[in-house]
Amino acid sequence: MEHHASLLAQWLTQVLGLAQHPWPGFAHGAALSILERYDHLLNAALAALVAMLFTALVRKNLSRIPGPLQQMFEGVVEWLKGMINDNIAHHGEKHLPFIGTMALFVFFNNLFGLLPGLSPGTSNWNITLGAALVVFGYYNFQGMKEQGVGKYWLHFAGPIWWLMPLMFPLEILGLLSRILSHSLRLFGNIAGEHVVAGIFFGLMPILLPVPMMFLGLFFGLIQTFVFTMLAVIYLSGAVSHEH
Amino acid sequence: MKKFLTTAFLFTLAAVAFAQGAPTAAPAAKSLFEGQFTAHIALAIAAAGCGLAQGKAVVAACEGVARNPQAAGNIRTTMIIGLALIEALVIYVLVAAFAIK
Repeated sequence: MEHHASLLAQWLTQVLGLAQHPWPGFAHGAALSILERYDHLLNAALAALVAMLFTALVRKNLSRIPGPLQQMFEGVVEWLKGMINDNIAHHGEKHLPFIGTMALFVFFNNLFGLLPGLSPGTSNWNITLGAALVVFGYYNFQGMKEQGVGKYWLHFAGPIWWLMPLMFPLEILGLLSRILSHSLRLFGNIAGEHVVAGIFFGLMPILLPVPMMFLGLFFGLIQTFVFTMLAVIYLSGAVSHEH
Repeated sequence: MKKFLTTAFLFTLAAVAFAQGAPTAAPAAKSLFEGQFTAHIALAIAAAGCGLAQGKAVVAACEGVARNPQAAGNIRTTMIIGLALIEALVIYVLVAAFAIK
């Protein structure tokens, strides 16, 4: 895949006067500054910062009579709470901070593709893989904490003891491939949408990309929902006791 | 339709044969099925399959909502999860297409 640094990274390179040099095995040896090379990290960090800024703003101005921003965030929290309570039977709400953080991070990253001069952090596999790995680590940890280490890993072996040698490797393979599917789904959707919007922009910069950008808004929301939902489902699978 | 498909298949075979038999080929002679052409065809096939599958899923969900409008919320959630899982397969092909230079 060709590398297109976002306009923000290019502008920052010019303003800060960063040195540009080729990176071995990357972008066919094009001369890039460190910000242009690690463009996705810049965008993801910016998205995370914006998300934190919004939430801090809401938290600071928390009141009994909610303003528009607080109302919006209350809606988001209620929605996440409902999703968790639907899927996790007991004490699900203690996972709300983690799930909410992941949802906000992914959502702001997805929508950064719509701002001119920026590219979505999630259109790079490194970011989505990081997010998926964090979710993976979290639900495995919670599963082990909830069920005990031995019991948690034993439930991958299935109920029939002589099928264990077959079931255990298969289940572990399935567990590991979740990381891949969880991260690639988000990455592919956002990257594909961004590339298509870019091609439309190349055809005609005015008005033609607007439907695609609207679709990007929609996809960003849907993909956030899917990412969060799958995280909750994995989590509920890990922490649920089998009675 | 069958005749057309057979003809198209033969034409592609012929194209490969010509590409391989061309004496003036560059040192790194590439067949038609190397490189981006493969990615495009693979993505087209994957998108077609995904379209059919997602269509089936959405039809079933619509029928379910029409019969029992009160279950719309649950059906919508389940449908979106299902659509995402179906779509993931196309996304894998898309990622592979990105990877092919």
